[in-house]
Amino acid sequence: MFIFALANQKGGVGKTTTAVTLASGFAQNKKKTLLIDLDPQGHVAFSFGLDKIPGLYRWVVMEEPINSVTVKVREYLDILPGDKRTEKVKRHITLMDFRESVLAEQLRKSKYDVILLDMAPSLDVLHINGLFASDWVIIPTRMDAMAVDGVKEILLTMGEITQRGHSFSGYSILPTFFDRTTRETMTQFQEIVRAFGDRVLPPVPQDTKVREASAFGQTLWEYTNNSPAMTGYQEGKTFAGGYHQVMKRLLEVVDG
Amino acid sequence: MADRKVRRRTVLDPAVADLLAGMEEKQAESHLPRRIREKKARERAKIRARRDHRVTYDLPPQLKQSVMELADKLSLPASQLATLALLRFLQDYKNNNIDLSKFKKPSSSPRYDWKLIFPKEWFEEEYINTNKKA
Repeated sequence: MFIFALANQKGGVGKTTTAVTLASGFAQNKKKTLLIDLDPQGHVAFSFGLDKIPGLYRWVVMEEPINSVTVKVREYLDILPGDKRTEKVKRHITLMDFRESVLAEQLRKSKYDVILLDMAPSLDVLHINGLFASDWVIIPTRMDAMAVDGVKEILLTMGEITQRGHSFSGYSILPTFFDRTTRETMTQFQEIVRAFGDRVLPPVPQDTKVREASAFGQTLWEYTNNSPAMTGYQEGKTFAGGYHQVMKRLLEVVDG
Repeated sequence: MADRKVRRRTVLDPAVADLLAGMEEKQAESHLPRRIREKKARERAKIRARRDHRVTYDLPPQLKQSVMELADKLSLPASQLATLALLRFLQDYKNNNIDLSKFKKPSSSPRYDWKLIFPKEWFEEEYINTNKKA
């Protein structure tokens, strides 16, 4: 089992879209995959065209077994949806012993190949739980100063968690909403490449089709598999960036 | 022990490196005078437009040389002579004026069933420059 957390304290950087796209990608590669929505906005269920339901609440607070609260959305892919009652999960966990590792303990028994945690843009007990449970953190970020600052914040939090005894296998930074024609994108991209080197994944180009896909309750693989967000930028016969390439890199991580 | 400065090498994801290099090149270009920028843009458009016209075939060196010499002599692009030659060949082939079966031999390549073996003398200078028909 390999657990990815998708985290950035800055909102609107593409965490949920990335989580849904990567989860579907792993499932298409025949990895038994679970996507857990740790965000009270509950947009994971929405992205698959489902109603929001308090799956996380029922699992953690009501202590229902995981297989009764997950929803099969595609072949090899289950989701554990959330809704505003996820806020109550935070309060519940806060009162528990060893509260930082509640999620890690619960997930230890599950039988999935890959688990993705779609985290809320906040730094609360559920966020810390998500990081504690994860092997690898994917940090999606727009190429703007505030989102890049969010990357730094996550890395500092990861540092603190490491000091408390958890070891991450690694982390990746995923540039999203990438618009290579603007100077600011260029400047921020150079900065993060200089700072993080090979931890920077191929960027995902800005693409209006991405917004449409969730409105139709479809994944990007289903709705717009050949759009720039999926295939990246074409230069002659080669492609750079896009979720197809990101997926390849992460499969290498999972398969060692 | 020698005092050697050791610098860590940053290894980038190849896609990230390509993209960054392309963006940096474009940014550097944006500081050039307008006239030069336009010239570069025209050159890029030309290269893009040519992309569909490009092809790579393996030819015997003597044949390649003869086409180049003829192109020089007539002061014409070799590509246009090759275009004419190929067009003529396709017409002849469609009109059953060319029989490939004489040259066909089984191929050991996993990609092809057949290969064409041409007589060696065809590629000798004398032969190419005479009126004999291949």
